[in-house]
Amino acid sequence: MNRLPWWMGGILMSGLLLMTFSVFGADRPIGASTYVPFFAGLVFDLDPEKYTYLKEVQNAGSWEGIMLLGSLFGGFIVSVFLTKTFRLSLVPTGWKKYKNNSVLSRLFWSFISGFAMIIGARLAGGCTSGHFMSGMSQMAISSMIFGAVVMISLLITGRLFYNTKED
Amino acid sequence: MQIIVKTAGDDFASRMAQMFENVIHQGHGSLVLVFLIGVIFGGIIQYTRVDKFEKIAGFAMLKDTIVPKMLFLTVGLTSIGLYFMIEAGWAHYHVKPIIWQGLIIGGILFGSSMAIFGKCPGTGPVSIAEGRIDVLVGAIGGLLGGLVFTLYYDDFFKALMGESAGKLTLPSFFPGNEHMVVLIFGVVVSIIAVIIPKKEMFDEADLCKLPEDQRPDRQS
Repeated sequence: MNRLPWWMGGILMSGLLLMTFSVFGADRPIGASTYVPFFAGLVFDLDPEKYTYLKEVQNAGSWEGIMLLGSLFGGFIVSVFLTKTFRLSLVPTGWKKYKNNSVLSRLFWSFISGFAMIIGARLAGGCTSGHFMSGMSQMAISSMIFGAVVMISLLITGRLFYNTKED
Repeated sequence: MQIIVKTAGDDFASRMAQMFENVIHQGHGSLVLVFLIGVIFGGIIQYTRVDKFEKIAGFAMLKDTIVPKMLFLTVGLTSIGLYFMIEAGWAHYHVKPIIWQGLIIGGILFGSSMAIFGKCPGTGPVSIAEGRIDVLVGAIGGLLGGLVFTLYYDDFFKALMGESAGKLTLPSFFPGNEHMVVLIFGVVVSIIAVIIPKKEMFDEADLCKLPEDQRPDRQS
């Protein structure tokens, strides 16, 4: 089998979340956006003593940093041996179909949206993993607010940004 | 719990080493376990293909519904399991605060970036691992975003996020009926996952590498 169905993915992801939450596992939720400012601190050589935010994310950032290394490894192994999708590419097929064929345009928008995405995630205090998956599983009101705002903003942007009428 | 971080050296290599050391001492699972959680996390995302532009931006265009189906099922199942684990003392709450401005401004920025990027901070690295260079460029943008946030946190972003209105959860609004609320929430969210109509946008560039009889787009 080279693709897992969505329901199998949901069951496995739920098992992973429960294991991570449990005191026998890591006793914390899964998160995947705190590592970004943490790595920014490392790459741009910021002194953690001077910046409040770096001090705040020291532990969570380290934890997610190790998890990130694992997910890079896991993603690579599965893409080479199971899904057979490893290849170098610059423009996604869907972008070519619904936006344009320009490499420059895709790279420009990737950069801008990557930048804005991290600012957004850090303002809200979480991302798809931390808020949507881990937070909504705890039935946190904050995560439900975030989830609703993200869904609306995602669907409106999808409608305005792409030319979806051509087919 | 005592966290010991050796502060020897502040060059990039020493600080990477300190990251490992920090995880070993912070008491949230052994180093191997945390790495393994990442491997499984990345593996599931890769194996279900939800890291693809066609899946996330495809959902923004309402041409693919695999991501919301999988997300809602994950939340539905986990919410029931987690609640009873917490009751049994096998897990703890880690609820994020309600910061209205941060959640709304952040949510708008996050949602619109997700539609354009076709990735999120968890699926992005998985895409980079399978060779997507455009996502690597986006990650550099993200790193600069993290830098700007860190630099202007005290002067600008902290005020923009606003005050916390508490860490509330849905069951806390229904004292006495918590178990019922959890069960209803979990079941309803799981049913939503099942009844969202299944739509898929396939990527020929990926599927052409598979044998004809294994292509998911040729099966039912």
